[in-house]
Amino acid sequence: MKQQAVNAPMLNEPLSFRSRLKPIGIQIAVLIAPFIIFGIFLLFYDVNPIALYGSMLSSTFGDLYGFGEVLIKATPIILTGLAAALPARAGMINVGGEGQLAIGALFATWFAVFYLSSLPAALGIPLMLAAGALGGAVWAGITAFLKVKGNLNETISSLLLNYVAVFTVGFFVHGLLKDPDSFNWPFSPEISSALRLPIVNGTRLHVGIVIAVALVLIVWLVLKKTRMGFRIRVLGSNHLAAERAGFKVSWMQFGVLVAAGALAGIAGMIEIAGIEGRLRPSTGATYGYLGFLAAWMAWNHPLRLTITAFVLGMISVAGNSLEISSGLPSSSVHILMGLVLFFLLGSGRRLKK
Amino acid sequence: MKTKKVKSLLVLTMALILLITGCSQPGAQQAPAASSGSENAAASDAPAPGADSTAVGFIFVGAKDDYGYNQAAYLGSVGVEETFPDLKVLRAENVPETAEAERVMEQMIKDGAKVIFPTSYGHLDPALNVAKRHPDVAFFHQGGLKTAENLGTYFGTIWEPVYLAGVAAGKMSETGKLGYIVSVPIPQVLLNVNAFQLGAQSVNPDATTSVVFTGSWCDPGQQANAANSLIDSGVDVLSQHQDCTKTVIETAERRGAMSVGYHADASSLAPEGWITSSIWNWPDLYADMEKTAIEGNFKGSIYDGKYRGTLNDNVVQLTELGAGVPDDVKQLVEEKRAELLEGTLQPFKGPIEDQAGTIRIEDGVTPALDDLEAADFLVKGVIGNIPK
Amino acid sequence: MITDILTGAIRSGTSVMLASQGELISERAGVINLGTEGSMLGGALGGFAVTVWTGNPWLGTLAGGLCGLLISAIHAFLVLTCHANQLATGLTIMFFAMGVTSFFGRGFVSEQIVGFNPVAIPYLSEIPFVGQVLFNHDPLTYLSFLLVPLLWFVLFRSRIGVILRATGEREEVLFANGINPKLVRYAAVLAGGFLAGVGGVQLSVAFTHSWVENMVQGRGVVAVALVIFASWKPIRAMIGAYLFGAAQALQLTVQQAGLPISPFFLFMVPYLLTLAALYIVERRQRSQTPEALSRVFTGTSSG
Repeated sequence: MKQQAVNAPMLNEPLSFRSRLKPIGIQIAVLIAPFIIFGIFLLFYDVNPIALYGSMLSSTFGDLYGFGEVLIKATPIILTGLAAALPARAGMINVGGEGQLAIGALFATWFAVFYLSSLPAALGIPLMLAAGALGGAVWAGITAFLKVKGNLNETISSLLLNYVAVFTVGFFVHGLLKDPDSFNWPFSPEISSALRLPIVNGTRLHVGIVIAVALVLIVWLVLKKTRMGFRIRVLGSNHLAAERAGFKVSWMQFGVLVAAGALAGIAGMIEIAGIEGRLRPSTGATYGYLGFLAAWMAWNHPLRLTITAFVLGMISVAGNSLEISSGLPSSSVHILMGLVLFFLLGSGRRLKK
Repeated sequence: MKTKKVKSLLVLTMALILLITGCSQPGAQQAPAASSGSENAAASDAPAPGADSTAVGFIFVGAKDDYGYNQAAYLGSVGVEETFPDLKVLRAENVPETAEAERVMEQMIKDGAKVIFPTSYGHLDPALNVAKRHPDVAFFHQGGLKTAENLGTYFGTIWEPVYLAGVAAGKMSETGKLGYIVSVPIPQVLLNVNAFQLGAQSVNPDATTSVVFTGSWCDPGQQANAANSLIDSGVDVLSQHQDCTKTVIETAERRGAMSVGYHADASSLAPEGWITSSIWNWPDLYADMEKTAIEGNFKGSIYDGKYRGTLNDNVVQLTELGAGVPDDVKQLVEEKRAELLEGTLQPFKGPIEDQAGTIRIEDGVTPALDDLEAADFLVKGVIGNIPK
Repeated sequence: MITDILTGAIRSGTSVMLASQGELISERAGVINLGTEGSMLGGALGGFAVTVWTGNPWLGTLAGGLCGLLISAIHAFLVLTCHANQLATGLTIMFFAMGVTSFFGRGFVSEQIVGFNPVAIPYLSEIPFVGQVLFNHDPLTYLSFLLVPLLWFVLFRSRIGVILRATGEREEVLFANGINPKLVRYAAVLAGGFLAGVGGVQLSVAFTHSWVENMVQGRGVVAVALVIFASWKPIRAMIGAYLFGAAQALQLTVQQAGLPISPFFLFMVPYLLTLAALYIVERRQRSQTPEALSRVFTGTSSG
């Protein structure tokens, strides 16, 4: 028997959202504190924090190119974030965005290389997108099947499948999908130029960000305005109530997980069609985990997710300039990111309990 | 509100504890070279790629102190730093082999780099993309087979010393079973395994090499598993193609097996069982490439295209043979080395058969560079399976 | 060959096993800690560093355990005091620990240690088959053999165990007895972190004698999965860890046999096997998830 008191607040997502509007001072302090700590840390290594933060800022907001890079980074994080947020609203935890993205990229590349190479953009790109979504859905489908049929916890199975996904991609790029013109190096062939997403001149920014934001709006609308969305939220807040109300809980869980996988799979397709142009063994690595973190930072709210994904994208882009201009090892970026997240997590949802 | 304060204080203390552990480290910080300007004569009529560069960028796929591939490349970058004290040296490690690398290179160019060294095979495509956008920047890619107007590739014929190591290993092994612990089946890896086996069977026709893939460039736990597993099955000489090389050598030593190193001279790790190691010697080559580019001579130079440094050029080397290696083996390796240097010995001259016995290199044919470095088969006598 | 695989199973399974025993304690109290990966990394580095400095692997073990504990303390603090989401916090700690250990670990990559070495136990190691498989390991492995029954005893036959399990199941009972469940949880998470740290030490000081950045490579994550596979029972967690280790060893043996199976498929085997085992176990017995933990999984708990 679950305690009702614990279960109740989940329904009131808008309320807890509003209650997050704490005194603005504290919010700012939470955002700035990690940078101050990291600044002190930098001083020990003879790095001038102000100059460094300056160069980090200018590398992200200094020009169109840098800003484009942040958006490019944020795109897959938004989508894998949705892949975590949607199941979370239905009371499930999907940590498998990483693998779902990889398999989505694999499917998208496979179709692009073998079936779609001669199609015009207007037909080829949507089909490739569908292939990516299918790949992610299939991968999440394994997790969903294990959950519904085997009562196997989706957190653990999706996490383990991430490792399997990496090896699956390795299997294909070293074998069936290896580019015959790349001297036997483990890449897929390049997809045809018609299938590449249109880009903004002078940057690498492509329309993927538009697709991502559109999907955010769709997920938000579905959750907020539709019957199905209502049911998902009921399921997430009170499993028992959902069962008593006669919902087909297993089917709902299956559907939500598969939809989440499709979203992550689309992220994989966008990586291929927007940026990489071909599949490599490590395409899209760590985006799944970053997306998961972005989702939790946003309390699984789709609209807030765009902001948190943007912040994470910014830190990882700025991380490159941190390393290049300070000479500190690349691992320092992880330290900074960890600090930022600790403060956000620590300042979190006190009122929930 | 008070709890808030207490909380953030606590987090701060935790961060401070981290700091303190940090300070007690023997710090080896190089302050970035301070002065950089003031020496450039304006001679930039022709936009030769890399000319008059005041900064150079190096990107590494792993950590620069991995005791292996990336450390060798890092030492190369140190060589450039020492030869050109006024040059600003920009470095980035752990740069993934995806389009991420493009951004890192763009950032370096924005910071003034006119010469870029992408040092891992997977950095080639991103480098080609960036090179297209920046015709005034010279790129030297390590190991690639594709080039561009302003992008040349370089590498070393590391398979030469690996062949010699195979000769030594074939002589030293009592069981005739050699082991090779490798990461993933890419051509560079397969080429080395083949060279090793060819070397071993040139002195012991019955020698076999068992290949084990770990799936990772640096996972010591998996390396130790692989080493133990090979030794359990009767292998008595272990070689490897990994980015970090320490664990395999130490495991072999503890279990009484002999080891052949890679990337670095690790003889101190295995006083008993050390045979030898194939290593890179990048500093002079890097510095020369840098010099060529800065002086505006990239176009038409030996580095404009596919440059391969050899045993003759000292770009690749075989380290001194271990104390346990008897003199007759040392002498044999010396003879073979001399033959390699003269060119009378060509390990990959046909006929070369693959595992199934199919002729892969025809009788009397010496494969061209592109064919050689695109190896997708294992020679006869190698035990192991590569995906098709 | 079977002897080799079983010996290999114990060799490569021990670090995972230690970490999963730690995670088990923590989860019994209702806290899931994905930061186990981070604790293992901290332990691997801390243990290695202290062994380098002092030459004494036992001091290294202690230090590694403490490093693991320190990292799990971040988890405990954020989760129990700040009520942050457990899984997100664990994941963050994983990233953070990767950063911190790579940063401070650079100087140790090229260091050499003597560390722990296999010690054959007199007489026992001479028993055919069993002796080879069980009694020719490093001291930490022997300790881990002893740990499992000890943990079982503590969990199911001692007062501490009752309190710990009650914390995860029915914390009202604790309040009634004047025990603060939060304190119990803190203790459980810290103990779990310590054991994960020792698991890391086993990896760096006993098994590989090396430190490189991110050397744990997902073993902590597997440890967390194994606890669920084990239905929160120490002996089953041990079996699970050795099964995972055996899959690794088997995979390598198959590779050496030269069978026409892609190595990439073989790399998946340990993970697929874990999944299959989980599926079978969970299907048969509707799991006895500690109540507090199932609330984490269903998202109905904030802390």
